[in-house]
Amino acid sequence: MFGPFRPTAINYGGLLWKTPWKLSPTRKANQRKRLKRVDAVIETVRQSGVECTALDEALRLPKEHEMPARDKYTVFSAKAVGYRKGIHKVPKWTRMTLRTNPRGF
Amino acid sequence: MFSKLFKSQSALRRFYSTATQNLTEKQEPKTYYKITLLRSAIALPKRYKDTLVTLGIHRRMQTVFHPHKPDIAGKILRVKELVQVENVPASAVRTKTEQRWERRPDPGFEVVGTWKNKRWLLDEEGI
Repeated sequence: MFGPFRPTAINYGGLLWKTPWKLSPTRKANQRKRLKRVDAVIETVRQSGVECTALDEALRLPKEHEMPARDKYTVFSAKAVGYRKGIHKVPKWTRMTLRTNPRGF
Repeated sequence: MFSKLFKSQSALRRFYSTATQNLTEKQEPKTYYKITLLRSAIALPKRYKDTLVTLGIHRRMQTVFHPHKPDIAGKILRVKELVQVENVPASAVRTKTEQRWERRPDPGFEVVGTWKNKRWLLDEEGI
């Protein structure tokens, strides 16, 4: 049970990376900050008075204060139990737009 | 009475200065985007990097200026997670070289003349 050759997950599987199943309060605060920064970019472009399809699409996205916590910190996943998984499981999640859900979810 | 007059004059001056400030702000419409890359596009799909290249950005914390146009707005919105955008008047637009000169610290001295032309010496002697 003890000693250098004890049966641990690392000894059996080799490399073990542990990803927490949910975000910590700090990571959630950082996520909110990022969302607000993107909102500011969209708002600035809107204020410039330019009209384009990209802006219409961006304005259709919910703003940070309109989003429920469920959408801020989790995403839809077809494979996950309950169809939701932590947003931090998505590769490059801090630099992607993951605000909306598929219809019905 | 004099102090009262002075007070009113200073108040008047303050009023004029704010009024002219407002006027200049109104006269200069904000027609440019000031775009700063805060987050790199490394390891994102190639189109993100290409969009930054077309905006003329090639490193983090670099600032570029572009006019208010639909194509520029579309490019900004494609990389909206990576950049910080501000609307600025045309007078605030700076080239790369101008931005570098503005970043320069004050050298702390002023060249009054060189040994070769001896202008400073002539000035001192009053010639």
